[in-house]
Amino acid sequence: MKTHYQICSHCVMDTTDPDITFDEQGVCNHCRHVENVIRKSWFPNPEGKRRLDQIVARIIEDGKSGEYDCVIGLSGGVDSSYLAYMLRTEYPQLRILAIHIDGGWNSELAVHNIEHIVKRLSIDLHTEVINWEEMKDLQLAYLKSQLANQDVPQDHAFFATLYKVAVDHFGIRYFLSGGNYATESILPAAWGYNAMDAKQLLAIHKRFGTIRLKTYETVGFFKRKIYYPYIKKFKMIRPLNFWPYDKEEAKRIIVEKLDWRDYGDKHHESIFTKFFQSYWLPEKFGYDKRRAHLSSMIVAGQMTRQEALNVLEKPPYNAGEIESEKEFIAKKLSISVEELNAIMLQPNKTFRDYPSDYALEQRFSRLKQYISKWRQR
Amino acid sequence: MLRTRVIPVLLLHNKGLVKTVRFKDPKYVGDPINAIRIFNEKEVDELIFLDIDASKEHREPDYALIESFASECFMPVCYGGGITNVEQIRKVFSLGIEKVALNSSALRDKDLIREASQLFGAQSIIVAVDVKRNLWGRYQIYRHADKGVQKGDLLAYLREVEALGAGEVFLNSVDMDGMQKGYDMTLLQTVRDVISVPVIVCGGAGQLSDFKAAKELGGASAVAAGSFFVFQGKHRAVLITYPKYEELEKLFGEQP
Ligand SMILES: [Zn+2]
Repeated sequence: MKTHYQICSHCVMDTTDPDITFDEQGVCNHCRHVENVIRKSWFPNPEGKRRLDQIVARIIEDGKSGEYDCVIGLSGGVDSSYLAYMLRTEYPQLRILAIHIDGGWNSELAVHNIEHIVKRLSIDLHTEVINWEEMKDLQLAYLKSQLANQDVPQDHAFFATLYKVAVDHFGIRYFLSGGNYATESILPAAWGYNAMDAKQLLAIHKRFGTIRLKTYETVGFFKRKIYYPYIKKFKMIRPLNFWPYDKEEAKRIIVEKLDWRDYGDKHHESIFTKFFQSYWLPEKFGYDKRRAHLSSMIVAGQMTRQEALNVLEKPPYNAGEIESEKEFIAKKLSISVEELNAIMLQPNKTFRDYPSDYALEQRFSRLKQYISKWRQR
Repeated sequence: MLRTRVIPVLLLHNKGLVKTVRFKDPKYVGDPINAIRIFNEKEVDELIFLDIDASKEHREPDYALIESFASECFMPVCYGGGITNVEQIRKVFSLGIEKVALNSSALRDKDLIREASQLFGAQSIIVAVDVKRNLWGRYQIYRHADKGVQKGDLLAYLREVEALGAGEVFLNSVDMDGMQKGYDMTLLQTVRDVISVPVIVCGGAGQLSDFKAAKELGGASAVAAGSFFVFQGKHRAVLITYPKYEELEKLFGEQP
């Protein structure tokens, strides 16, 4: 931990990121990383459109033999909703399958948005409903594990389903993700750990879970790192990085064209996500994810630093609403609010406190680097 | 509220919600509590919950489960499954349920219909009947609990339950269940001709016009459906939906 407080002179990242460093101008390593590395693969300009046209042409060519060319995820949030709209209008010949994961927390807003997107854009939808009794057990296990990343059960299920449905069932080669640099170029490594680590997920469930995961899908290291990318040649592409993606503008468009309704804050499509991002993380782990999101927006030129600071003036959660939200979450997880509060008070842990594929992952990425160097020789 | 009620039917199986096709292959569609929260916000008229395991397993209603969802529902709720006596009905009502559906027990114990209707009022007692065509196209009463066929004439049975005090008849077609190709209109009209208590038709609704047909051509008092409210598109993707109030008003020609 840094001994004194410091905030970046360009964005709003600060020493709540334990690994942050600053240069002589007081600019943080994240800003520098965006300028020096990310900018090279980020094209919010006509060059991006030219590249995207080529990428889509390739996707369509590769998709010839199947029912769909590509798969997208739909949560009902801004990024994925806008991506669906953009792809449909710019590339009407692209045959898209949308996948939605119902992890048991869907709000009416989320299902309304998804329904309108798929109906108005004529996109075929596949929903994977995770068995709630299992999901509940896994989520409780995660809360009890005292790890920061409470979104892992949902995120892991999304990718496991993506592989199973898109690749194994439909033979699709491309996943077009709504992920983008415009709103998430900055995310400190210390604030998250790989949701894809099935070994960690199963270890946590084994230790804190109470029922067997009979239907919950996981995807192991070998399948994720070798089988799908190299044998099945499944690729992820982020079209919004080849597009002048402006979040406010995007919202305005989907509200008008898709009867889309706003959630308020980013990623608050469910009360659980809201609880986790705006209460669990700041209260328990001392960091506010809005900081990374706002910093990304500053770097993308979609917000001024002062505007971001004004947003951060407001507490991350609404003190008047949090009690009823906790009550809702506790009831849904079949525990009492006292139990939930007791969980909040336990000491925090990191991913290193549980078995994981971290070491394997490190060795694998070193091996990949070695191979690519050897090939260049 | 619309005069023609439009009612989602939710099937309970292993504490979760499922949807069947012709009473087979239950597909998991989610957790009842979350579905209720979404239906609440969509301002649904009424909900019917049917526990499809209870009678099969010869057990009572799962009161804890009923209580957990009854307390969440903003709309009137009908519960069916495993009820065999008036004490159980009393208990179910005490948990906040407005109506009960009697199916297996109504076939076995005619007195239960009479007794329940006298005690609680006809408006809260629904007799549910599952109808299946035999090889010759004749309508027969199907027993979901033991997958058997009840001896005796369907129409005679319905006349009898009406006389015993059933407030409504829930008429469900096994052959059309989950098919989304429209209601069995012949069945509906045939039944409609012989009884005068309100009929809730179920089994086969695939689009809004099916509701309209059931009301106008079939004389249904209420229209119920499962798949229509939980599946979307050709992959039958689970996604809860419910028509907007104005849409239904227009559909039924019930402009204020
Ligand atoms: Zn910075």
